[in-house]
Amino acid sequence: MRTDAAAANAPTPLSPRMRSALIAGALVVVAITVVLVYALATGPRGLAPEQQDGALPATRTDSHVLDEAGPDAPTLVEFMDFECEACGAFYPVVEQIREQYAGRINYVIRYFPIASHANAMNAALAVEAAAQQGQVEDMYHRMFETQAEWGEQQTSQADLFRSFAEDLGLDLAAYDDAIADPSTQERVQQDLDDGQALGVQGTPTFFLDGERLELSSVQDLTNALDRALDASGSA
Amino acid sequence: MTAVATTPGTVLFEPRAAERRRAIAVTALAAIGLAAAIALLLERFAILEDPTHVPSCTLNPILSCTSVMASDQASVFGFPNPLIGVVGFTVVLTAGASMLSGARLGEWFWLGLQAGVTFGVVFVHWLAFQSLYRIGALCPYCLVVWAVMIPLFLSVTLRNLQRWQLSLPRPARSALAVAVDYRSTILTVWYLAIALLAVQRFWSYWSTLVP
Repeated sequence: MRTDAAAANAPTPLSPRMRSALIAGALVVVAITVVLVYALATGPRGLAPEQQDGALPATRTDSHVLDEAGPDAPTLVEFMDFECEACGAFYPVVEQIREQYAGRINYVIRYFPIASHANAMNAALAVEAAAQQGQVEDMYHRMFETQAEWGEQQTSQADLFRSFAEDLGLDLAAYDDAIADPSTQERVQQDLDDGQALGVQGTPTFFLDGERLELSSVQDLTNALDRALDASGSA
Repeated sequence: MTAVATTPGTVLFEPRAAERRRAIAVTALAAIGLAAAIALLLERFAILEDPTHVPSCTLNPILSCTSVMASDQASVFGFPNPLIGVVGFTVVLTAGASMLSGARLGEWFWLGLQAGVTFGVVFVHWLAFQSLYRIGALCPYCLVVWAVMIPLFLSVTLRNLQRWQLSLPRPARSALAVAVDYRSTILTVWYLAIALLAVQRFWSYWSTLVP
């Protein structure tokens, strides 16, 4: 009994369970702090990328301009993922709009391959490799026209994309070199990084003269284009 | 009379309060896991009825049930994984509720539970790996299942190890005592490890959410 009494009078140390809970809490705080500090240290996130001289709004000078109407015309930029179904659904709509506004707007495509799409990056690389041979638009059409055949697959479709290049009559040796060249992937990654810096969170995301469009219907897109055309016409 | 707990080799019967706490934890965890498994199964049905259905747990390109459910990994054994969860969590829920009502489960039953939670925890980690590094998306209901499977495994395993500790070598027994005391730390480290992997894997995506 003496030991019990002594134990009762001694200052009670923390119980192991309490100590464990404190350690656990401290670890959570440390982990969150490390992640936040790292995030703040690495990312000038949220800052728009620097606008290059001579580039259309929300593009770079090396961005792929499919329709060109001059620097004074409204510029529609689409951040796209060739494997994204919504982009595939938008494709015919965008094509119609390009036709409707032909010669009056600039239309620029930028890559935004999303990690959960196994072949989004492969497709973007194939389009970029085609672009290096001046056939960006043909490959862009081919990707969306065939999306149902290769989308949502877990296995690499790079061989299929190579066969598209062959169909288009590309120089296959140069195509293979471009696919293997890390700078091609860097070029795609640059679009992705720019998109993220501009606040793109999903695809497709459209920018009109550097402003992100919130679209709930096709009408919204044509209305925005009409307004931009009116504005540039009256200016 | 005072030193029962410290005499080496004495079987340490847990106080009733600890047993009761475990019964509550097991029941609650199994109930949450069951709810998540049912939700996953219902979303599966909804997609089967209408392939364009967007599940309630598809929030953005990363937090997306759609990509995960469409994967081969979502029915590894030839049928949808959530079926395993619905059956498994129901068994554990029933066991937990029985304990709460005062039943004493036989040791062979605990052995069976141990087999079940061990399979569950291994499976969940395989799925986590697939989800992070192969599919490239996280499904929120699946995250709930991962989150309950780990403490469920810890709870059952620590209970069983304590019960069978006499057959363990001495150093293992002292390690076990520490593990029992510090189980909340173990659980936290476990969660943090997976959370940090997910943060790292989808860093470029998460960073767009921070203004």
